[in-house]
Amino acid sequence: MRQRANSGQILLIAAFIMASLLLSAQIYILEVGKTSEEVELDSLSDFILSIRLGSENVVIGSLANISNGGASDTLELNLEKWASLIRDQYLYGKNVLNYTLRDTAPYSSGIWLNWGVNGHGFSSAYGSFSHRLSGRETDVYQSYTMNITTTLLITSTNRRLNENTRQVNVTINVLNEAEPATAGQITIYYLVSNNWLIPDETNNYTLLNYGNGTYLASFIAAFPAESVEVSAHIMDYRGIYVQANATSIEI
Amino acid sequence: MFDRRGQIRIIESFLAIAVVFSAVLVSVTFPSAPDLSKQKSLASIATQALIKLDTNGTLGSLILKQLWTDIKTALEVLLPVGVSFNLTIYDGTGHVVNSEVIQNSNLLGQEAVSVQYVCSTRSQTIHFFVVRLQMAWMG
Repeated sequence: MRQRANSGQILLIAAFIMASLLLSAQIYILEVGKTSEEVELDSLSDFILSIRLGSENVVIGSLANISNGGASDTLELNLEKWASLIRDQYLYGKNVLNYTLRDTAPYSSGIWLNWGVNGHGFSSAYGSFSHRLSGRETDVYQSYTMNITTTLLITSTNRRLNENTRQVNVTINVLNEAEPATAGQITIYYLVSNNWLIPDETNNYTLLNYGNGTYLASFIAAFPAESVEVSAHIMDYRGIYVQANATSIEI
Repeated sequence: MFDRRGQIRIIESFLAIAVVFSAVLVSVTFPSAPDLSKQKSLASIATQALIKLDTNGTLGSLILKQLWTDIKTALEVLLPVGVSFNLTIYDGTGHVVNSEVIQNSNLLGQEAVSVQYVCSTRSQTIHFFVVRLQMAWMG
């Protein structure tokens, strides 16, 4: 009888060993599956990121176009084409990108160009996006806003050199999305007798780049008054154009 | 009778364990199934490389300027050593844009993975491209 009871215990132990082996095999399979799922999620998030990056490129390119004199509906037309193209690119389900361009003041059709006379200039595009990716085992929704703004801030002072000539300094700050940015091209103008003139080497024109989005333009010009209107026209490295006017004050 | 039956049960249990254990061993070591996770991670590396290249609109700009060698060099830098690739660029209507082959070595006979990436230029006139990157681990 005792031996019968013992053999039952051994059987139980053997069964536990079998169960633990089966469980460890199952855990191994689950772990392998999890890794594969993580890889799937990674590639999905990469895909979503690539669409967002492309949308940003479309907004920047469109703003560059409009700020350089292009039609005001360029942004909407380009986004329409972009949304249509990416709709066909996801083969495992639906890939829908919707967008709404800001139409509340000061924006119109997602665009705001304000090239003021108080030393401030803004070229901006603003849109809200929603992206849904859905398929057999996927349903991802992402919404985000995109605000692309090139800001130009200028201040100017001038110092009398002799009877007719003055040295004019124009300090220029360029910002992209409120962060210091590089200007691709800077042109300075000053107003004499209702004519906008561009200072050149005959005016000892120099442009100093401080490397942090700040530039100092200096030139010598002849004008009778203590103050003069100056204007800076810049194109940032993305091709977005912005200009600002200011009054140069004598120091 | 009872003792022998018990012994037989124990032997059966151990046999079962041996069978399960050997099955696990065989399934771990047997290399018949393709390593899909490796292929998927290669696809992920490819997409990330293209995303990096597309940051600041560089990819679109290189395509517009038809700088095929520069694209190839950039991919050689961004992709891991030991990866062979072949890149084909299509326009919005599906026509091949790259006039030169953009590849570092031939993919023939290798287990390749393909990634499709849509990109837009930042130029004043927007252009859209579909980029197909095929890759495989060398050797």
